[in-house]
Amino acid sequence: MDISKAPNPRKLQLCRIYFLTGFAFLPFVWAVNVCWFFDEAFRKPPYTEQTQIKRYVIYSAIGTFIWTIALITWVILFQTNRAAWGATADYISFIIPLGVS
Amino acid sequence: MDAHVAPSSSSSSATSAGAHGSLSGAAERLERPPRRQQAHQRNYGSNGNQEQMNNADQADGAVLAVPSVVIRESASRPSRLSAGGGGGASDGESGQPAEEEQGLKYGAQHVIKLFVPVSLCMLVVVATINSISFYNSTDVYLLYTPFHELSPEPSIKFWNALGNSLILMSVVVVMTILLIVLYKKRCYRVIHGWLILSSFMLLFIFSYLYLEELLRAYNIPMDYPTAVLIMWNFGVAGMIAIHWQGPLRLQQGYLIFVAALMALVFIKYLPEWTAWAVLAAISVWDLIAVLSPRGPLRILVETAQERNEQIFPALIYSSTVIYTYMGTHYAPEQPQSQSQSESESQPQAQPLSTATSSPSNSNSTATTRTTHNSLASPELPTCSSNCRPSTARTSTSRVNQRQQDNQAAAEGMPLVTFKTNLHGHEEAAGFTQEWSANLNNRVARRQIEVQSTQSGNPRRANEYRTVPAPEQQQPEPQEERGIKLGLGDFIFYSVLVGKASTYGDWTTTIACFVAILIGLCLTLLLLAIWRKALPALPISITFGLIFCFATNFLVKPFMESLSAKQVFI
Repeated sequence: MDISKAPNPRKLQLCRIYFLTGFAFLPFVWAVNVCWFFDEAFRKPPYTEQTQIKRYVIYSAIGTFIWTIALITWVILFQTNRAAWGATADYISFIIPLGVS
Repeated sequence: MDAHVAPSSSSSSATSAGAHGSLSGAAERLERPPRRQQAHQRNYGSNGNQEQMNNADQADGAVLAVPSVVIRESASRPSRLSAGGGGGASDGESGQPAEEEQGLKYGAQHVIKLFVPVSLCMLVVVATINSISFYNSTDVYLLYTPFHELSPEPSIKFWNALGNSLILMSVVVVMTILLIVLYKKRCYRVIHGWLILSSFMLLFIFSYLYLEELLRAYNIPMDYPTAVLIMWNFGVAGMIAIHWQGPLRLQQGYLIFVAALMALVFIKYLPEWTAWAVLAAISVWDLIAVLSPRGPLRILVETAQERNEQIFPALIYSSTVIYTYMGTHYAPEQPQSQSQSESESQPQAQPLSTATSSPSNSNSTATTRTTHNSLASPELPTCSSNCRPSTARTSTSRVNQRQQDNQAAAEGMPLVTFKTNLHGHEEAAGFTQEWSANLNNRVARRQIEVQSTQSGNPRRANEYRTVPAPEQQQPEPQEERGIKLGLGDFIFYSVLVGKASTYGDWTTTIACFVAILIGLCLTLLLLAIWRKALPALPISITFGLIFCFATNFLVKPFMESLSAKQVFI
């Protein structure tokens, strides 16, 4: 849908729902929220709901950022230590790269 | 389709998804803003002085229908009036050429809009086929294709393919009819459950398989927690975007991906000859289902139009915003009350929508489905197409009409529909900049005209004035027109190109690609001319098959012998 054509209360409601949904381990939804409402929050002439939308967008951005950092850290940590961690690490490996022959 | 598509292991769930695909595929037609205008005219036409207005309005409507139209002067209108009706047919033939030209222009812009997603979908499929060998070979078979074409004999293979495709097609037909029956009986929950289940299967299970094969092909290490997190995020966001509300781009992206995934499943699990036979059969079925008077898809579209409903978003790719959603949650109350009062006051207006209207009316007034624009601003271009005579019409009727437009578009889902989106993006609609720039002028002019004409009926004039007032403050509202293409079209186009690319020959692949796009162009051309829902598969698939085999068996050997003889040097 085209968010810029929606009424302001609806925007706020959508933004809020997306923000709350993101807590279910859904950083991607947060990222979508940030992209989708960025213009609304920062580039549109001010309106009443904008402050709240802005807050949700900023929180979503922070959440996305934290998730990204955490995920990258975890992946790096896991991949560098997989051999050292032994059987446990193999057990939770989705794909173990094959060596080049 | 899902059912057919799904590999035997996950067949049940897969089936549901498949069913979608099949339906959409079969159903895909191109739909144009249908001829509601005619109906309106008839309804409203009853009043003498109004008639003129209506005509004028309709002329506008015609213009609107073709977004690229330049503003015409009032003088030019008379001729166009007929054209406006021309879509509808009954009214005018004089305007026809102009209208057709506009229609062609209109179509041309939308052709480009459809090229991108169709090409993207094919690109995903071809890239996958060429990089992931998993999708190249058929080792497991679908439940619906009991003959596996293992014999080297061409005749036996032929019969196998024929049998398989007959079975598959009968499943498709049964599924389609089942959907129609459910829709006729208004079992919306069942249908939605079905659609959600199938998209769930595609977004989670098939995507998971895809991710696994993708990672394996590129030898990328990954651990289960990360994979599960990715799948969870991807799937949930997809469900939200497809079935609820999300950014248009995201929704389009997910629909394209789902279609590509479905195509990959077909390519993977259908034996070679069967795949070709199925392609041919499905395009014939598409032709029958959409064009024959009792064809299921036609019934589906007509029913949806009657009910002023949107066709399920999971089945259709829309080049513009699906506005049902937009309107759904937000309904200005004032207009509604007004509309109701109007409807009461002017019973005669109602008959317009007649059969449809009774259910739809209740919906429109009671439900918020109508976009606020439609309610609030009669003069909007949107309205103008149907309602612009708005003065004459009651707000309810307007609402209904709009809904009809929208829904008609929606319902065309399997087809390509031109729908009018009230809220759509300005650019998307294919409106020329000029057009939109002049929008305000025209609106003002129209208002004036309307008021002057309608002075005879003071009450209406008042209503008219009151209604538009709030809207004018929002300069934006425009109706959006978009073409809708069924996801099934995407799927089978991609199957054809993907299957061609499994031969490993880029000439064949590109020939198929070009042939399909040309077929799509022709279909859109016909759409602009006939202005009704059309099947998108037959022309494209026919071209694609011809080009594929011709390239594979004629051009390619020819080129090879040419280069072997070093002609190019």
